[in-house]
Amino acid sequence: MTGTTSTLDRRMQWTGIGFVAPTVLVIAAILVYPILQSIVLSFGDSSIDGSEPYRFVGLAHYSQLIHTGRFWNALGVTLTFTAITIPCELLVGIGLALLMNESFRGKGIARLAVLFPWALPTALNALMWRWMYNSDYGLFNALALQSGLADRPINWLGDQTLAMISMSIVAIWKTSSFMALIILAGLQSIPRELYEAGRMDGMSRWQEFRQITLPLLKAPILVALIVRSMDALRTFELPFNLTDGGPVTATESLSLYAYKVIFDFIEFNFGAALVVVQFLVIFAMSLVYIFLLRNRD
Amino acid sequence: MNIKCLALAAAVGLAASAASAEDLVLSIGSRGYGPTVERDLKEFSKANPDINVEWNKVSDVPGETRKLYVTSLTARSPTPDVFALDVIWVGEFAQRGWLQPLNDLIPKKEIDEFNPALVSAATVNGKVDALPLYTDGIHLFYRKDLLEKYDLPVPKTWEQLVADSKKIMDGEGNPQFHGFVSMWAKIEGLFMNWLAFVNGNGGGFYDADGKLAINSPANIKATQFMVDLLKKERLAPDSILNSRPDDARTLFQQGRAAFLMVQGFVYEPLAAKDSPVAGKFDFTRVPYFEGHEDANTTTVGGWFLGINPNSKNKEAAAKLVSYFTGHDQQLSAAVKDNRAPTRPAVYKDPKIASAEVLSKFGKDYNFSVVRPSARTGKDYPRVSDVMQLEITRALHGEKSVEDALNDAQKEVEQILGQ
Repeated sequence: MTGTTSTLDRRMQWTGIGFVAPTVLVIAAILVYPILQSIVLSFGDSSIDGSEPYRFVGLAHYSQLIHTGRFWNALGVTLTFTAITIPCELLVGIGLALLMNESFRGKGIARLAVLFPWALPTALNALMWRWMYNSDYGLFNALALQSGLADRPINWLGDQTLAMISMSIVAIWKTSSFMALIILAGLQSIPRELYEAGRMDGMSRWQEFRQITLPLLKAPILVALIVRSMDALRTFELPFNLTDGGPVTATESLSLYAYKVIFDFIEFNFGAALVVVQFLVIFAMSLVYIFLLRNRD
Repeated sequence: MNIKCLALAAAVGLAASAASAEDLVLSIGSRGYGPTVERDLKEFSKANPDINVEWNKVSDVPGETRKLYVTSLTARSPTPDVFALDVIWVGEFAQRGWLQPLNDLIPKKEIDEFNPALVSAATVNGKVDALPLYTDGIHLFYRKDLLEKYDLPVPKTWEQLVADSKKIMDGEGNPQFHGFVSMWAKIEGLFMNWLAFVNGNGGGFYDADGKLAINSPANIKATQFMVDLLKKERLAPDSILNSRPDDARTLFQQGRAAFLMVQGFVYEPLAAKDSPVAGKFDFTRVPYFEGHEDANTTTVGGWFLGINPNSKNKEAAAKLVSYFTGHDQQLSAAVKDNRAPTRPAVYKDPKIASAEVLSKFGKDYNFSVVRPSARTGKDYPRVSDVMQLEITRALHGEKSVEDALNDAQKEVEQILGQ
């Protein structure tokens, strides 16, 4: 692109930049600026209303973080939640996608039904499930007690281990359909001819799945995994509305803990350090996925 | 920065100034002050036709409302103009500059008419930052029909409550029926509950010399009693550990509990015409442990009205605050909705004699204990969080009561020492 570039090309180039610029600026304003601001805040002490000037304190907040048990707990909760929900969502998602890809009567309605949980806002979802999980007058315990499966009410959200499982179930129920949707799109782009060729070569259904479907689904699966993992690592509305991080701190995710530090205790600087660490965790996870995606070619 | 940002800023500016000069937004829950809010608003707009008040019904779970306020106030939003605050926030909000001092807006003579203790809880650096609207405290609600059925006395002590509960539970023989329900989720109400228990055993957050005494032997014993109530005596359902005031109230209202220990605001729904326990319940002072008759076991709170320092209509806002906290309005809130007034003169009004429930509430207030929010100020949210967390750990059996209270003592010392 040197001397030979025509005026027309150059004008096209400027037009292109012109079209992209507003988006870039908006992204810079709402994405890059807060990230930079959080990093700056995390290295200093300042008051929220600006009455006291910013004072650089280096890694003080980070060393405080390392010595805060509640931070490690929140990190553990976040990683556990991600590790439980993502594989389950993937398996259920593939299953749903394969099912929806078959032709049967009422396929349209089935597809709509699968999408329904995904369409509901998480907060609403969490409140709905909190009601169903309620130990004293919830749906699940009513069923469990009446059918004789349990002789005592099960405290779905009040037991430390059970609360994490209960929360994961809600996440899996809600977001498997998102996985399914992306995978279904991938499924539909696989040429029919490949299956026909496979059938001529005498492949079984399982072989078809292993050797045609799965390899060609790798890209959409990775995309779905990246999006969902990032979501899971940032999970906030679900524990906030379902358990408020409880019992004790058994479901207190990093986002929820950061929120409490920032909005309950109004400690913006320590909260910023928390958020930066969370950012790094997500960033590292993204790098792994990006590496995996690149490997594909 | 660019035209888009400018346009955005202009749009926001326009939207803000589009509101007419006499528009007010009032943030207050719909349960806490009950039907009084609606009545007061109607009468206020009749008396002040030029002021248009929009009622922003905020959550009745205080922690949630607080988060909402923090967001608006940090962003210096001009609304809400007037908002209801829990007594434990007043000092903190004032320290942060989130409350308009009322001294220049409301005459001193009027401020002097309020209960001086409540006003002092809202006074920072000599300025009054909010006016008390009503007070509320924790009481013990009980099923008088069941106590009569099993010929049991109304419990004055915790020991008696345990005995009563066991007899009723045995007699009812229903696994879905519980002796005791309360709000033991990790919320502010748990800390209020704990204060009632430990004070009832002669303990407290501070000792008699005003020193921090979270892990005193009296406190450990009372906290152990809470654990035993749940784990050993099994008087309470497991769900008590994630139950908020309304969850506990619902169980009691469904007729599934003998005793309920929450704030007085549940009286209204419990006594409602369609309530299954209407006419079958009564309330009394929260019990004490044997030998501590004079203990202060009624943890009280109070709700205040404050003005946003960024409000565009502070004069009108002050009018609204004066009106809501005024003598006549408090009297009608007391007589019609059993809300405890904050003006001593209201209690002396002959009309209040008809408010039987309220005067019973008033008797419990003679044994009042308050949370340490005034002394811990800005640090109170963290102090309360530590207390909630460590008490919860003990209740879940994650730690022994002694360890939990020792850790709480250490952590609170650290927070206040900073």
